[in-house]
Formats: sequence, C-alpha cells, structure tokens
Amino acid sequence: MQERVAQFEVDHVGFLDASGQVLEDLPEDIADLEVIKQGYRSMVLTRLFDARAINLQRTGQLGTFPSSLGQEAVTIGFSLAMQPNDRLVPSYREHGALLCRGVTLCELLLYWGGDERGSDYQQARKDFPLAVPIATQCLHAAGVATAIKLRSEPQAVVTVCGDGATSKGDFAEALNVAGVWQLPILFVVTNNQWAISVPRESQSHAQTLAQKAIAAGIDCLQVDGNDLLAVEYASRKALERARAGGGPFLIEAITYRMGDHTTADDARRYRDDDEVSSHWQGDPVARIRSYLVEQGGWTKDQEEALQADCQVELERAVADYLAVAPQPASAMFDYLYAELPEAYEGQRQQVIDRAAEGKTDE
Amino acid sequence: MSERTLVEAVALALQHAMEDNPDVVVLGEDVAVNGGVFRATNGLHEQFGGERVMDTPLAENMIAGLAIGMAAEGLRPVAEFQFMGFIYPAMEQIVGHAARLRNRTRGRLACPLVLRAPFGAGIHAPEHHSESTEALFAHIPGVRVVIPSSPARAYGLLLAAIADPDPVLFLEPKRIYRLVKETFTPNREPLPLDVCFTLREGSDITLVSWGASVVETLQAAEQLATLNVSAEVIDMATVSPLDMTSVLDSVVKTGRCVIVHEAARSGGIGGEIAAQIGEFCLLDLLAPVQRVTGYDTVVPLAKMEHLYLPGVEQIVAAAISAVEFE
Amino acid sequence: MSKFKLPDLGEGLTEAEISAWFVNVGDHVVVDQPLVAMETDKAVVDVPSPQAGQITGLFGEVGDIVATGAVLVEFAGDEAADRPDSGSDSGTVVGDIEVGDKTVTEEAIQVKAGGARLKATPAVRALARKHDIDLSVVTPSGSNGTITKADIERVAALLEQVGALEKLTGARRSMALNMAQAGEEVVPATVFDDADISDWSAGTEPMPRLLRAMVVACQGEPALNAWYDSHAVGRRLLSQIDIGIAVDSEHGLFVPVLRDAQTLDASQLKNRLAELIEQTRDRTIPAAELRGSTITLSNFGSIGGRYANPVVLPPTVAIVGAGRSRDEVVARQGQPTVRRILPLSLCFDHRAVTGGEATRFIQLMMADLSLAD
Repeated sequence: MQERVAQFEVDHVGFLDASGQVLEDLPEDIADLEVIKQGYRSMVLTRLFDARAINLQRTGQLGTFPSSLGQEAVTIGFSLAMQPNDRLVPSYREHGALLCRGVTLCELLLYWGGDERGSDYQQARKDFPLAVPIATQCLHAAGVATAIKLRSEPQAVVTVCGDGATSKGDFAEALNVAGVWQLPILFVVTNNQWAISVPRESQSHAQTLAQKAIAAGIDCLQVDGNDLLAVEYASRKALERARAGGGPFLIEAITYRMGDHTTADDARRYRDDDEVSSHWQGDPVARIRSYLVEQGGWTKDQEEALQADCQVELERAVADYLAVAPQPASAMFDYLYAELPEAYEGQRQQVIDRAAEGKTDE
Repeated sequence: MSERTLVEAVALALQHAMEDNPDVVVLGEDVAVNGGVFRATNGLHEQFGGERVMDTPLAENMIAGLAIGMAAEGLRPVAEFQFMGFIYPAMEQIVGHAARLRNRTRGRLACPLVLRAPFGAGIHAPEHHSESTEALFAHIPGVRVVIPSSPARAYGLLLAAIADPDPVLFLEPKRIYRLVKETFTPNREPLPLDVCFTLREGSDITLVSWGASVVETLQAAEQLATLNVSAEVIDMATVSPLDMTSVLDSVVKTGRCVIVHEAARSGGIGGEIAAQIGEFCLLDLLAPVQRVTGYDTVVPLAKMEHLYLPGVEQIVAAAISAVEFE
Repeated sequence: MSKFKLPDLGEGLTEAEISAWFVNVGDHVVVDQPLVAMETDKAVVDVPSPQAGQITGLFGEVGDIVATGAVLVEFAGDEAADRPDSGSDSGTVVGDIEVGDKTVTEEAIQVKAGGARLKATPAVRALARKHDIDLSVVTPSGSNGTITKADIERVAALLEQVGALEKLTGARRSMALNMAQAGEEVVPATVFDDADISDWSAGTEPMPRLLRAMVVACQGEPALNAWYDSHAVGRRLLSQIDIGIAVDSEHGLFVPVLRDAQTLDASQLKNRLAELIEQTRDRTIPAAELRGSTITLSNFGSIGGRYANPVVLPPTVAIVGAGRSRDEVVARQGQPTVRRILPLSLCFDHRAVTGGEATRFIQLMMADLSLAD
C-alpha cells in the first residue's frame, strides 16, 4: 500500500508589475511610504556607488569589484526589515545592505581597495564581514543565531547567499542545523540567475531554490526580488517570527545580475546582450520610483535633490578613501593573535624594516 | 589530587571550564547524551544540559562554521571532531575563517574557539581513523596547534586553549588516551601555551617530540642512559607556534638533536624544527639533526601498523648514530 | 564609432541637465540599459542606451546642461576590440594576471655531482679558523675521510709545540708568492751539462763570462729570451736581453735586472754587475730595476753546488743555473786528464721552448765559456 506522507508547495509573491504599478490590493501592513522613500534613496545611492566603484577599478584605484547592478531591491528590501541589534552575515555582493546597516562608503571602498580596515566597521560592530568562500557564511550565521538563542536575545540573523551557493554543502548544513535547532535566522537566497558563467538551469534540477528549505523542515517563500515592497514585506514577516522564537525562514529572491560577475569578468563571453537588455524592463530602481511617483507624490525636486546629495556623499567618500594613510607594515602581524607569539616577532621586525627601506629608496 | 587518564583529564578540564565560565559550550557529534565516543565529554550533558552541550547533526564543516559564528558572538565553543580523519571538510572554515577572522576585521571580531580531535595511530582502528596531519594546520597563520602528551598536560593545556582568545586546534593522541593514569592537582589553572616542557634533562643529545611519541621517546632516553648516553627530552606541546628558544638552548648544550613524530616525514613539523636548528645553531652541532618519523605512506591498517610507528628501537638507533657521528 | 545624441525627452524640450551618470567609459552596455539621469523642467529621466556596445566617450559632467541633439555618449564601432573573444578578455575573474610579451625557450640543465672536497662539519671548520689552521694540512681521521674536532685539536697542539708561526714579509713573502705562481703555471724541463773552462786565465771571475755566454746563446737561440703569455697562448721574442741576476742577501732573494746586456762589453758588464749587487745588498736599488727581466741567471755556484732545477719565473721562459767550478778527471782522446769544469743547468718552460732550442742554447753557452777570453 502506498500513501502520501509529505508534499510541498512553494508560493511566489510580488506586489508591483514590471513598470511599478500595483498588481492588486496591497496588504494593510505594507511598508509605509517614508520607509519606501528611505529604501529608494538607499537604492539610488547603491547604484551610483556601484558605478563609481567600477570607475575606480578601471582607473587603478580600486581592486576587483563585484557589481550589484540590478539587485538593489533585494539588499535594501531585507535591510529595511532589520533592527539595529539584528546581525547581518552577508556574502560579497550586498553593498546596499551594508550601507543600510551603517557601514560607510569609505569602509566599503577600503575593503575593495585592499585594506583590511574596511572590515573594521565602526557601526554594525557585530555584523560579519564580507564572505568570499561561497556559502561559508551560512554556517557562521547559524552559529551566531545559536548564540542569540542561547542568550535568549530577541534578535535574529539575516544571511545572504546566491543561487550558486545553494549547491554547496555549507548551505545544506546550515539549513539543516537551523531547522533542527529552530534558529532565529532568515536565509535570503539572491537568485540572480548566474553563478559567474553558470546559469541557474545548470546549477540545480530543483524547480525552485526555495524548496531546499523544505527539505530541512524550514518554511520558505519565493519573492520577486526586483520588487522592493515585496522583499521588505516578506523579510519583515520572517524576521518578526524569528525574533519571537518562531524559527528560521528562507526567501528566494528572484532577480537578475545586470553587470559582470566582477570587473575582471566579461559576461558577454557566456550570455547574450539581448537577454540582459530584456531585464532592464523590470529594473528595480525604476519600478519603485514609479510607485513612489504614483502613490507617494515623489517629485522631481526630490529626485534632483536625491541625485545631488548622493553625488556629494559619494565624492566625499571617494576623497576620504583616496586620502587614507596606508596601514603600518606591522599591521600584517598585529591582528593575527590577541598577542603576537614570540616566535613571530623576528618576522614582524623584518617587515617593518623592509617597509622602511622602501621609503628611503624613494 | 586526582588520578586521571588523559581522556578523563580532558573531560575534567571541560567540566571545570564550563563551571567557571558560562560562555563555554561544547558541541559535536555524540558529545551530549553519549558523552563522546571516547567519553571525553562524559557527564557534561547531565551537569550542564542540552543548551550548553549540543549534539550536532553530522557535518564537520558545519561544526566548525557554527563554532566560528558562536565565537564571534563571544561564546567560547569547544567543538569536537570525532576523529582527525574527518576534520578535512572543515578545512575551509578553519583556514578561511577561524584563522583569519581577527586579522581581517582588524580586531573587531575574534574567534576564541577550540577544535578538539582525537588523532594518531596505534589503536588498530579501521581506515581513516589514524591520521596525524597536524602539519597541515601548523602551516596556517592565525591558528594554534596544541598537542598534550600526558593527563596533567592535557588538563592544563586544554584549560589554556579554552581561555585563549584565539582559535586552537587541540589534538588528543588517542593511543595514550588510557595508557596511564596520572596523579595531578586539578587546580583549574592553565598551563602555558607556546612553550615546551622539558621532561628529562640530559647533556649528550636533545630528543624532541610531541603527542603519543613522547612515550617512546622517554623510553628511548632510559635505554640510552644504560648505554651512557645522557638524553634530554623535550615535549613541544604547542607545535604552532614553536618554542624554538627552549629547543635551541638545549641543542647548544648537547650539540645533537633527534626529532620524533608519528606524522609522515615529508613536510612534517620536524622539518621546520630542523631548519631552525640549522639556521640558528649550526656551529654548535656535532652531528646532523635527524628525524625519526612515520613513513611517507598512508598509515597502514592494523596488521602492519607496528611497522609504521616510530618505536624505541628507531629512536635509540638515531641517537646512537648522532653520538657516534664523525 | 557611433554617437548617441540626447533625444527629445518630451514635448520639444531643448535641453536638460545631467543629474547622474550610471556608466563609465569602457563599460559594455546593452540595449535599454540606463546610461544617465537627465533632469528636465518636469522630471528626472533615465535615458536608456539605444544599442549594445562599449562606451568610448561620455560628453558632460554632472550638472552640465546638454542641448537636445547634442552628443551625449560615444560608442565604439564594430571593431574587433568590441567582441568578447578579442584581446579584451582579462582571462580571470579576480585580480590582475600580468600578460608578458616575451617568448622564452629554456633547456633544463642536468646538474652533475661535484668532486670530493675537504670534509668537515661547520663546527669543525669554525674551530680550524679559530686556530688559523688550513684544513689542507690536517690529516682526517673520521670515517669517510672527515676531519674531526680531534684532528684540529691535534694539529693545533702540534703547531703550538713547534712554535709560533712566522708570517713571511718583504722579499721572503714575494718569493713565496712568486714561486707558488710559477709552480702553478710553468711546465719546467731541465738540461744539464758541463762547460770546460780549463783555458781561462787565473783569477777570471765567472759572472761576466757567464753573462757574455748567455748573450751569445740568446742571440743564437732567441726562443729562450722571450715572454710567454699563458692566457693568450702566445710569446713575445725580445730583442733586448735583460738578464735577471739572482742575488742572495740577508733580506732574502732579489733578482735585479742587468739591462741591454747585448750592448755591454766585458768591463761594462763587470761594473754594472757590481753596481747592481751593491745596491741590492744595501737596499738602495729602485723597484723598477727588480722588474722586467727577459732571462735569469742564478750563480749559486758562488756558494756551492753543481746542478740544480732553478725555477723559471714567468713571463720569462728560461733560467740558467751555474754551479761551483771544480777540477775533474775527464776522458780526452781515450786518456784520463784533469780539466776545470763549470757545471751548467738550463731550466726552461716547455710550453714555450723546445728541447732542441734549449740544448742548442746550452751548447752555445758552453762554446763561449770554453774560450780563453
């Protein structure tokens, strides 16, 4: 005899169409306009920062940089739903989220410019730094959430990873332990359709990435990642539940990576311009701007002021970044341990001498 | 005073650490209800409950990643890897994150965790349960590697590892988990990390070792004494960073050195010690520095294990050849 | 190259202000990608790209007013540089991989094991240095021919017993160094013979006669009055005969040079010789006069001895050694008779002089020496 013992469903949520028009009646507790305007400002700043960073890389003033073009609604969306005492455990493409969390533009530039001080956030002291090894941050997030739960803090952890990351063991292991220990953690899977050159359909045979949570006994939702309203709403609900002890949640945010994987990548090698073009139709920044214009009385003056403010802020940050004095060479050793073991003091002095020699040669 | 085997000393240290600091938590596979497959966490779950002594799902990489997240939040996790042979999935987390979290955040976040693993051969175990790959981790800046060789040192060094603000890989030589009981005072005091322990003074040759091999090395020293060779025996205890000051002082005195480790020869930590001896006291050497080690092979299964491990005979022979060199 | 001009943004607007650029020169953009935000009287509008392509120029800064129809953005043309598979491929996804422009060919060399040298541990070498002992004088007693600490100590004790080392200076030092060099370079061969000087009048001094005989022989066999250059493997035959004269003094061995011997008559030779010897012995001889001989004479016979292998001093190729003359019973026409004999040794550098040349040279000397005057 055979009987059904389990089955699953995955819902997809979106509130705005591709041109920013409301699809149907919005829920009553949709984010209010002031929050959305704040979010829109962050998205505009993020996009301008992104372009500026690419420019800096091209002119040799920044290292390899991964553009977040087209994904602004995802990162700002969940950030709007976070509380200051929540923790963010990001991957490496969430520039917008870091900015919302209080990481400065200058700190971001320092990190991508190759200076470790960029991860010594003056705000957001407990947030994890960027994670480069794919999906490893999901486990850190689980550990952070474990500590929060142990201490009965009313907070939650947001961790972000990409579609490629869902193939990795760390991701599965993190979901698994989050589920079995009922950790206060929101997994945001940013499905931007590309893992460098590997498209979504080559990454997994699963119909959705969200359903991987179901395998771990975790609730999930697929969301239009280019709809700021939808991302914010879904994130807020999930985080409120997690903070209240309701356990983990996973959001798969559907979006598109409009730029190259990094400034050293050329995506035209593996994808068509036409495909990319078609996604400009659903540009998240344009959509939410339409919404604000229609629903929130967003004016041209406000837009002008926003652009101008962003430029000023950006240029100031770039100037600050370019003016930062380099770290002393000993910094290479000074943060390796709480106290550098004697065994390495000789080497530390060697690098100090070497840096000093370099100076006298100039 | 307490009489404890090495593994009992580990359990005692964990108990004391958890009693003294509510931030100390234990996690791993089978560590809670079962008390650990080697009973290293025996009694902890009963005493401290399931929130502080956690049975994790089966995923070593996850164990390391969880510990990192917890440590960054200020807990003091002591995570167990059931065998060193299963630690390899966690390499990415250990090398890529634990070892460098303090450095890459310029001190903003730290990683005060302890990763414990039984290691080494000699218990006729099935495949993969006899690893001695401490050199892989000794090579990584930012993580300490500590290896006790006696119950008292297991107790004191584990307390030190837990109290240390940086990541420590604590490798327990399982061959001597229960070999002897030692009487010592479990005074809740840590022993120092980063220093050697001189277990026997001598004037003709310096024998350096760590882990289970210390047992054979001490036996070799006894035998050498009957042959009128006075051997000094040093237990490195911390193999990263190395306390070369003590080793060099000894070699300056004796002029001869034999390094004994169970781990495979090539790329083993013995090479680093020998290189430093050559670098800093070449003119004091009366004979080349030798290494008595496991072979560059996969550790053989039970039937041939006895041919693999460096034994008293091999150590004595190396020492004699050093003394007779010229 | 194609230029994109600012389109009419709405109802006949004539100009707009650049509010923000979204792209950079060098970026590849696609159709509909927002290039720039333009501010008009009514709104801030994103201007989408009309084409896919690489941006080669942006015309205007934030805040500039641009007229409708003015060039805003320039795109690269359909050149090869535009296509992904051309030289724009960075070939990486992070960082900068430097692309060099050299092509190299290499051949691995097989390293051969060197020969055996003195074997001693660094500690033993240091000990030897401390005692100022050259390892080459130490007989190794270790296995494999290793020099041991005990060996060094043995040699040190020995040297202590035999007394302190006297470091050579001055002429003795020069002799040591010159002879060592000669020993390394020269390939010596010697021919010995006896000159019959029975017909000399009583009291004839041998030196002037020897000098004259050498001049005659040099003129007859110029190969022996030459300088040899071992690096160039060549020789210089010298027309001038400058004879180096070995002079023994309490300060050591000196070899003053009697220049142009071929131009001096008997008494000039005698006088010049006496001058040189006096100056040498009282150390007033200028250094220049101790250099540049073309052939050497060692009249050791003035002290004693018959035959010798005197050392050829490079770059010269010959040295004549004259022993002490003596009466000797020789056979002449089958009958024993007593003759006065002057023993001669001619040592020559066989790299530059043949046996034939040397033998003829000594014959010529013997012939001249046998003359009564």
